[in-house]
Amino acid sequence: MSLALSIGLLAAAGVFLVLQRGMIRIILGFVLLTHAVNLLIIAAGGVARRDAPFIGGDTSMAADPLPQAFVLTAIVIAFAITVVLATLAVVGRGDDDTEAEPSHEASDDGENVKDKTGGLT
Amino acid sequence: MPGSLVGEWDEQHASHKGCELANLDHPDNEENMTLTAILFSTLALVAITMVATRVMGRNAGWIAAAGLGALAFGVGNRLPEILDGAGSTLGLGIVKETQPWIPSLDVALGLRLDGLSALFLIIVLGIGALVMAYSARYMSSRNVHPHTGYFAWMLLFAFAMTGLVLADDLILLFVFWELTTLCSFFLINRSGDRAGAPAVRTLLVTALGGLSLLFAVVLIVLRTGTTVVSEALASAVWAEDPGFSAGIAVLVALAAMTKSAQFPFHMWLPDAMVAPTPVSAYLHAAAMVKAGIYLLMLFSPALGGTLVWQTILISTGLITAVMGAVFAMRRFDLKEIMAYSTISQLGLIVALIGIGTPAALATAALYTLAHALFKASLFMVVGIVDRQAGTRDIRLLRGLWRSMPVTFATTLLAGLSMAGVFPMLGFVSKEYLLGQMLGAGGSPLVGGVLTGIVVFASATTFAYTGRILWGAFFDYRGTNREPKDSDLHRLNKNIQEARPLFVASALLPALMGLALGPAIAVLHPLMGAAGSAAAGESYSASFAIFGGFTRELALSLTIIGLGLFAISQRRRLDTFFEGRILSFSAIDVVEGIRTRAIALGARVGNTTRSDAPARHLAAPWIIMGLVAIAAVVTTPAAVSRVGTGEPWTDALWLLLIAATVIPAVITRSRIIALILVGAAGFVVALWFFVLGAIDVGLTQLLVELLTVVALVLILRRLPSVFHPVARARQIASAAVAIGVGVVATAVTFAFTGRRDMSPVGQYFLDEAYEDTGGTNVVNTILVDYRALDTFGELTVIAVAGIVLIGILRSRPMLAERTSNFAAWANTALARTADNTLPIRMVARWAAPVIILLSFHLFWRGHYEAGGGFIAALVGATGFALAYLGAPADRGAPVAWPYRGLLSAGVIVAVLSGVWGYAVGSFLKPVRFDIPLPWGGDYGFTSAMVFDLGVYLAVLAIIIAVINELGGVRQRVGQPSSQAGPVLVAQSVPPTEPALQSVAQFVETPPKGGS
Repeated sequence: MSLALSIGLLAAAGVFLVLQRGMIRIILGFVLLTHAVNLLIIAAGGVARRDAPFIGGDTSMAADPLPQAFVLTAIVIAFAITVVLATLAVVGRGDDDTEAEPSHEASDDGENVKDKTGGLT
Repeated sequence: MPGSLVGEWDEQHASHKGCELANLDHPDNEENMTLTAILFSTLALVAITMVATRVMGRNAGWIAAAGLGALAFGVGNRLPEILDGAGSTLGLGIVKETQPWIPSLDVALGLRLDGLSALFLIIVLGIGALVMAYSARYMSSRNVHPHTGYFAWMLLFAFAMTGLVLADDLILLFVFWELTTLCSFFLINRSGDRAGAPAVRTLLVTALGGLSLLFAVVLIVLRTGTTVVSEALASAVWAEDPGFSAGIAVLVALAAMTKSAQFPFHMWLPDAMVAPTPVSAYLHAAAMVKAGIYLLMLFSPALGGTLVWQTILISTGLITAVMGAVFAMRRFDLKEIMAYSTISQLGLIVALIGIGTPAALATAALYTLAHALFKASLFMVVGIVDRQAGTRDIRLLRGLWRSMPVTFATTLLAGLSMAGVFPMLGFVSKEYLLGQMLGAGGSPLVGGVLTGIVVFASATTFAYTGRILWGAFFDYRGTNREPKDSDLHRLNKNIQEARPLFVASALLPALMGLALGPAIAVLHPLMGAAGSAAAGESYSASFAIFGGFTRELALSLTIIGLGLFAISQRRRLDTFFEGRILSFSAIDVVEGIRTRAIALGARVGNTTRSDAPARHLAAPWIIMGLVAIAAVVTTPAAVSRVGTGEPWTDALWLLLIAATVIPAVITRSRIIALILVGAAGFVVALWFFVLGAIDVGLTQLLVELLTVVALVLILRRLPSVFHPVARARQIASAAVAIGVGVVATAVTFAFTGRRDMSPVGQYFLDEAYEDTGGTNVVNTILVDYRALDTFGELTVIAVAGIVLIGILRSRPMLAERTSNFAAWANTALARTADNTLPIRMVARWAAPVIILLSFHLFWRGHYEAGGGFIAALVGATGFALAYLGAPADRGAPVAWPYRGLLSAGVIVAVLSGVWGYAVGSFLKPVRFDIPLPWGGDYGFTSAMVFDLGVYLAVLAIIIAVINELGGVRQRVGQPSSQAGPVLVAQSVPPTEPALQSVAQFVETPPKGGS
């Protein structure tokens, strides 16, 4: 149940972040969603058996190795995607904003941005 | 050629053998061509003729004609087998051949020749040969280049039609059906600038029918369980399930109606008149529209007699017959008159098929042959008149009978056959058409109404035949409108008779129409066989050219009388028809549907056409959530959970997750959010460790570390806080997020942890060592069992690296936002070289250790925790350390050739795969033992070479990230194109006061701002 709740928390946080504005939060949300899905894949293999699947010792309680192999692949691919997303976040105009905002001119000036958004933190 | 048809009969009568299934007694391969050979010969003819066109121009048509003629003769040779099955159940001989095609789907290249397909095949090949011979004179002798395409598409059309009528497999039938659609599209489309729109309209209408046929085919295959046409049509399902039969009847009728240009899908045929005349001749007489007729007759054994089938076919057939004939009366272009004539005549055939008795179907077969002969001839005549006189307008043409007597005679013969005048073949077919209509429906009233409609259509046919003859060869004067002078210029001054070879192709079918009328008896066996095949029961046809003084004869005379009257009243009729009947044409309707469909698509698409990613990102999660809810709700209570509860420590990991992700979504600070998400990643790694996924946990840990490093690199270039978001949207996002979270928890709880080890997992645990020699099961799965999958992943990494480099080469990064640098100038913080000294010292000692550790992890990966991924990630932390220890980005000692490394990773992996290919299959591991100098063996496997590829690619992408996003590249790249002074890193000694590196930031103006 703890694992199921962890997956739910990660998924909820991830979905919330990808629905926000700005590329960085979308990236962070994507990272959290990756975690949720990876844990779900591991959970699909069962959580009762928790020994590492190495041959040589007693494998009666070894975890299912197949989901682990899937997740290992998934983690590295997710990293590659994160990197590409991160690159896209810093080649825009002004900042990583993902939505057009008519009344708010994108600014390069760090202080300006701070002034405009500081009150909202 | 159809000429061979006549010659075959004597031989056929002589060779009666009374065999049960003809193909048992007649070995296909000795003297006769196999069906497969016939089919693929038409395809070979495409290539041969294409080559020949390059050499001899339009004369290549003769080669094509000879080829198709020979094939028609080959079919004729097989007729005795077909016509002769006295002992078989249906009294039908059937030749069947099957080659495997897609065995996994039970789809075969099944071919079948029975009476029905033989008739259509002879029409397709025979008329094809005539049209090809005609083309050899019709096409221009100059400007040879386009002829290649013309002949290729025409012959491909012949191939498609041959395949269609021979196909004994429903999938094959559909494929050839669609091929005819495509061939007609390309033939129309390539005929000039104005052909595009008609070609597209033709394609849209006929492709609609194709979809309908596809539905029908899929349903039939699912229901009857076979793809073989003859078996499917003989299934008991048709009789048992009237609803199914009715549904298929509608679908098949729709398909055939679009193909055969039946109301309301008739518009494409006149529209397609932009194509050259030989194309029209083939499409109208033998190919495209006859495909629809063939389909209807093919499905008649199963669908004939059902009310839906009869209603649809008889009503649309007769509506089309009347409509086409009336429209033909309104046209002045000979070719358009012909087009509407075809529509009308096909309507009569469709109605006949609708009646569905064996006699009606045999009559439909006869009518199809008669129509093929006279319509081929008439179209070719139109082409000849067009070529010789320069126009096809009956208001301009006059007196041609004097200058073109042979052409006139040809038109007269073919026209009389079409009008149904004694003693032509068309007369016989019309007599029997009337006879069938009189007897249709069981009641005299129904028969009378149907007959009345047919009489009207036929009288109109007679009238427009007269219009063709008068208009083209005499002085029409039907219309009051005088031709303009400018039009008259189009008429050639000295109109001469066409060359004999040109006219011969048109004359031949016309003469056959004349000869086959009195000699109708020779057609009895073939028409009987065709009728039997279409009816699904034994039927022997007998037609007579004169059956005494019957009602049919009286009706025929009535038709002629009415027709002659209409011709005499042509001036009045033209005036009557001048006004439009409807305010819109069928073409307008199709165009309207097309443009509105596109507009509707745009409107639907616009709802998702947004730059804001949130809209796109919300949809999949909401949909997935709904699917998951449906899964949880509909799945019955799962079996109980395996295992005895969970250790209390699990709750701890849950708390840690909550403690990291909840603040992470609340905070407005980018750096805090990043740190919290990174921390959540570490907790996830802990989860992996406690669940027994050591390799996964290690990978997760290292990847999380490097993700944070990469994101920190870009955070420098972004504002320090997130963009504000409206409260309403926050609430909506939170609602969606919480919903997804609840569903994710429910799904995980409901669907996992309720079974023991999966069989495949158990297999890996039991056999991995035996199979691969490795003891780290996860690693063996990655590099041995599922190496191709890992290879795909490796490629994804390489591509991501290339994308990253490509993006940053084409767009500048945002400027760094390290604000107020000047304020720090006199503090200790500004002395970056000094500040990084501790890290550099650590790195100096740590680097060799990290390198050794990385190698060690790589080396042992096959046996213990480790492997290419982890080793590379560990190695990469060394680079990260070196980068952090550098006093300035541009001086960081990490400028490795990552592009080369990326490619090297892929290349090494491919090489190891090829190595495996040498001993079995791609990526199959090669294993052997290497004796170690200190005794024992090292079990080497080429999977390690593959793992090296993984190692290089993963290492390379991380170096790429540090270099590209970290700004190291600017040291070597584009120094001249950068704005502002750029200091070359080599000139900055590490011990130099750090202000100089601060100066870089100050002096380099921000890039990419607005």
